[in-house]
This record gives sequence, structure tokens and C-alpha cells, in this order.
Amino acid sequence: MADILKNRQLQLVVLVLSFLLVFVPYFIDIPQLDAASSELVVITSIVTAFTVALAVVSQYQRGMHYIVKRSKGWPFKAYMLISIALMLVFALFGRDSGPYEWVMLSIINPLSSVNYSILAFYMSSTAARAFRARNTKALLLLLVGFIVILYQAPLTGAMFPGINPIGVYFGATFVTAVGSMFLISVTVGAIVFGVRVLLGKEPSVLGSGGRE
Amino acid sequence: MVQEAESKMAKSNGGILKWMAEYDRRYVYLVLFLVVIIPLLRPIGMAVSVSPDTQQYYNVLNTVKPGDKVFFTLNTEYSGFNELHSGIVASLRVLVEHQAKICFAVGHVEATIIPDLIIKEVKSEMDANGYQYGRDYVILGYVMPNEPAVAGMAMDFHAIVTQDSLGRSIQGTFLDDVHTWQDWDFISDFSTGLSTTYLQNHFALRGTTMIVNCIGVSVPSEKPYLNSGLIKGLLQSMKGGAELEYLIGHPGVGLTSMDAFTFGHYMLIVFIIIGNIGYLGYVRKTQTEARGG
Amino acid sequence: MVAFLDISVVAVGAFLAMCMFSTLYGKSNPLYALAEESYIGFATGLTIVWNVLYIWQTGIVNMMNGDWVLILSVILGIMILFRIHPKYGYVARLPIALVVGAQLGLSLRTIIFTGFIQQISSVIAPLFTGSAQTLLYNWTIAICVIFMLTFFFYTVEMEGALGMSARFGEYLLYMAFGASFAMTFMGRLSMFVGFMQSYTIPDWKTPYLLGSMILVLALIVWMDKTGLREKLTPEE
Repeated sequence: MADILKNRQLQLVVLVLSFLLVFVPYFIDIPQLDAASSELVVITSIVTAFTVALAVVSQYQRGMHYIVKRSKGWPFKAYMLISIALMLVFALFGRDSGPYEWVMLSIINPLSSVNYSILAFYMSSTAARAFRARNTKALLLLLVGFIVILYQAPLTGAMFPGINPIGVYFGATFVTAVGSMFLISVTVGAIVFGVRVLLGKEPSVLGSGGRE
Repeated sequence: MVQEAESKMAKSNGGILKWMAEYDRRYVYLVLFLVVIIPLLRPIGMAVSVSPDTQQYYNVLNTVKPGDKVFFTLNTEYSGFNELHSGIVASLRVLVEHQAKICFAVGHVEATIIPDLIIKEVKSEMDANGYQYGRDYVILGYVMPNEPAVAGMAMDFHAIVTQDSLGRSIQGTFLDDVHTWQDWDFISDFSTGLSTTYLQNHFALRGTTMIVNCIGVSVPSEKPYLNSGLIKGLLQSMKGGAELEYLIGHPGVGLTSMDAFTFGHYMLIVFIIIGNIGYLGYVRKTQTEARGG
Repeated sequence: MVAFLDISVVAVGAFLAMCMFSTLYGKSNPLYALAEESYIGFATGLTIVWNVLYIWQTGIVNMMNGDWVLILSVILGIMILFRIHPKYGYVARLPIALVVGAQLGLSLRTIIFTGFIQQISSVIAPLFTGSAQTLLYNWTIAICVIFMLTFFFYTVEMEGALGMSARFGEYLLYMAFGASFAMTFMGRLSMFVGFMQSYTIPDWKTPYLLGSMILVLALIVWMDKTGLREKLTPEE
């Protein structure tokens, strides 16, 4: 059994077959294949949901490592592990009210809000210190950024309507162009990588090259 | 030469120009706090002008007809909700006024609480239009954890979704008539960049009309899809939400935040100017002197 | 009259949020660690809850309704958990192969169109139709995309016309990055403004926000001056 599960060729065959079962029915209409493809997609979505357990175990192991070694600040890790358990218990009492809702509103929501909004501070200080007109390219970056920042402030557009068409122009052209450019490049890369995986030239994707 | 310039800078008393080039970044943090909190406590009420993208978004939103089935997807963490709040509520108001049938679905675990929060804000409009849970709107929970889930919903909706967010069966709701992507008339997506790409690939690409309200960070990556016509409208960040509130004539959190939003932008400009004056007046001068020029 | 529950939500939320903002003080501190571990712990629990619910609703409920093929999803899901086992990690390989193959099929069948064909046709096709403004926009986009792409050619020598094109593309890229930065800043600032707004509207919340700010700042400064900050801050 172990030999079957470790067989690299079998892995590759399973990979290619599952790829074909999802890819082909999209272009060729065969009802039986459609049904099988749909079933496989549902199975894949459920199996992917199981993988969150891997992240949880990793979190648990990291926390226990600190607690067992009594590293500096180990009570914080113990608190973290207890809070995971508490959240699971609270969910049993109902998800639309009670302690679960209280934790969502008073702990998770504010902390999630701060998690990303704190970047506004870092961006401000970085921009203030790094946006210097050192050379022509930096000057161009600075000027265009300046104009778009001014345009984004609603009061500027209301007081100086002339800036609106310029701000809209930069947003509708340069930003779109760079987005398109990266999208095309990334897509080509993804297609090439996908073909390499199907040909078995990317063993790391299947977890090969490990301890087993 | 660089080291010589640096040591010269460290020893010299460059005065105000030196401070402008090398001030403590905590001043920036403090000023940002102040320019945001003061206008929120003492609002001024600034004018807004509507951008072409917001006008386009609003025009597409207005094409929804009574009875249209709308997939209202919240693919955002709670931090994104703070930014998209105005756009979400304003869009929902328009959909309710058009008497669309709305299915709320969530693509991030932190967003599971958002449908209840926004429904509270439009409760009066929903009551005025006779909205009934199950017949006119359904709240699904976290049903878009990954791409296969979204693709599965496009291929066979009831294979992926069997219950609503409180564990009640969706049988007997308007979702009985939804089987594949073809049965949706409209998708209104609110995103920090999570499942939006999946919705675009598996619904919009096949022909379902889709509009997106995304955070500022995601605008460069969503613009190409707007340009190619895959999505029909793009509302950008809190500013877009404020403009939409202005267009529908229902001021909300977006418009009230524009004062702080404006001053935050002006603050950044001032600090960039200060930094450049310091750079040109002190750092460059010191480097030039060190070179003997 | 505001309910005690609402007050507790705002008071605790404001305090923890300010604890997280305390990292801006410039030195690591135990209040930031408290906020960080609170978020990691409760958010991880939340993720487990909703993923278990998803597996229940999509897998188990459908199985009970007669779709017995889905028993495979539970078996494969359990097999994939062996990934972290030091000895039996190979058990996860087949489910990983299945998932990777299916995901590859799902993404490749669509990104060919959305990320490549449609992008190229939207850049090249509309260059000769439309109003003067539309033509200006479309030509700018086309020129920018072509020249920016040449900057990223790494397989040929950048000389002659190609070299000039790449240099021009680089200048266009810098201009685009300036505009993109402005939009990114708008996004992050909006998140911060939205957060502060949620703690200043309605007015009764403001004292809790301001009180938390002052309390956390005072605590940080006091801990720093007395040496408690160093003592209580956990190691990274």
C-alpha cells in the first residue's frame, strides 16, 4: 500500500486525469463528463477546506514550543491557544448572538481593522522619507503620484476642476496599462508553470523531494 | 565619499533643513492621527465631484430590474469593510429600491457578520419594499473558501450550497430557481481581492453581468478587467462609495468621512514637500560639498 | 440609554485596537503582544469554525441527501492531513495530486481568456474607433503596455531599438507606479478613516476611543521608563 501511495508516476497520472476531467468538459459538451467534472470540483473544494487544519496544527506546534521551553513571554502563547479553544466553544452557543458575536465585534473586527489600516502610517512615513527627486525617474514618479493624490482628495476637484481630467487620465491609462502588463505576464507564467506541472517537471508542487 | 558626506551631515548643525530631511517618523504618525480624528469629531462637509468610473458603476447598477436575482458577494476582511462600507450600503439601497432578489454570500470568515450589519442599515427601505427572508433575500454564510467552491457554484449551485448561515435549508427560498451561472442576473462584488478573480473567471466570463467595489490597493489589478469589459463597473474605495452616496441622494458614512480623507491626502503631500526641501536643501548640498563641488 | 453590552464591545475593542497601534511607538511592547495573540487566537478559532461548517454543509449534508460519492472528499481530506506526519507524509501525495490537477484545470481554462486573450484584444483592438478622448486613452494604454512589456524581456540583449524601447518603458513604469502608489495610499488611508469613524459615530463612543488612546500611551511610556517594557515583552 505504501509503495502505491509513494509512486510518483501514479501521482502524475492522477494529476493529469483530474486536470483533464475539469478542463475538457468546459470546451466539449458531454453530459456524463459534465456531471463527473462537477462532482470532482465539489470534492476538491471540500478537500481544500480540510487543509486549514494544517495551518492550525502548525500554529499549535509553534505555541506549544514556546510554552514547553518556558521562553520569555510564554503566557501570551498559552493565551493564544486558549483563545482558539474558547472560540470553538463559543460557536457552539450560536453564531448570531452571545459570546461568539461579542468576540467578533469587540476583538476580531477591531484588530482586523487595525491590522491593515496601520499600513497607512507606514506608507505615509515611507513616502515622506523615500519620495525624493533624486533623478529623472524618481521625479516622474513623484510628479504623477502628486497629481493623483491631489485628484483623489475630493476638495481639490471641487476647487480646481481642471485637475479632474488629468487625474482621471493617469488612472484610466497608466494604471490600467501597468495592470494589464502584469496580468499578461503573470498569465503567461502561470500557463507555462501549469504545463510544466502536467509534464511532471515540477516535483516540488506534489510535495516530492521530502523526507519520505 | 558617501561616508564622508554622512559623517559631515552627522556633525553639522544643518538647522531647519537638516530637520526637514531627517525628522522622526513618529511626527508623521501623530499628525496622521490628528488630521483624521479632528475632522471626524468636527465635520466640515466638503463638496465631492463624481468620477466617470463611479457614474458608470451607478448606470450599470440601475439596469437591475424587479425580480432579478443578484449575487451580493462580500469577499473582504473586516478591515476592507471599513473602506467599502459606504459602497456596500449605497449599492444595497439601490438594489432594494429596484426590488431585486438578493443572495448575500461571504468569501472570508471575518465577513460573516457583515450581512447582518448592513441589513440593519437598510431595514427601513427593505420593510418599505416588503422584503421577506427566503422569498426576497437569503444570507448564506462562508460559501466561497476557494476557487473550486466558486466554480462548483457556477456549475451546480445546490451541490455547494445546501444551508444558509444559520444552518437552515435553502429549499423553499428563491434559490430553488438557481442552478447554474445562467440563473443569476447580476453579481455585485465587494472585494479586497479574494474570490473576485474566481467570480470573474467562472461567472462573468460566461456572461453574467458583474460589478466590483474594491479597495484602493486592488484598483490597479481590477482596472484591466474593466477595460476588457469582463466587469461592467468598478467602484473605487471609500471615495467611490462617497460619490455613489451623493449620486443616490442618501448621504452616509462615505460622505461624512471625506473631510478626514481629504486632510489625510493633503498631509501626505505636505510631508513629501518637506522631505524634498530637506533633501534638496541639505542632503544634496552636503553631498555636493563633500565632492568638492 | 446605551446597553452595557454595546459599551463593553466598544471599550474592549478600542483598548485592543490602541494596543495594536502601540507598535507605532517604535519599540516592541507587551500590549502589542496581547493584541497580536488575541487576534491570532480568536481568528484561527473563527477559521476552524467556518471551515468545519463548510465541510458539514457541502459534504456531510449532501451525503445524507444521497450523494454518496462525496465520501471520497472526507477520505481524501483526512489523507491530506498526513502531510505533517514525519513518517506517513506520503499518504497526502495522492489527494494533493488530485487537488492540484483539478485546481490547474479550473484556472487554466479561464485565465487563458481573462488574463491573456481579452487583455491583448482590449489593448490592440479599439485603436481606431471612438471619440478623441477615447482614442487618446486607448493609444496611451497600447503604447504603455507595449513599451512596459519590452522592459521585462530578459532573454535577449537590450540594444538598439529594443534597448531604447526598454528604457522608455522604464520611465512609463515609474509614472504608473506613482499613480498606483497614490491609489494604494488611498486604500490604506480609507481603512484607517473607516476604522476611526466606527469609533466616533455615534458620539457616545468617542470618549472610549480617546480614553483608550491616552491610557495605552501612558502605559507604554510608563513601562518604558520603569524597564517593565523590556521585562514583559515576549521574545520574537
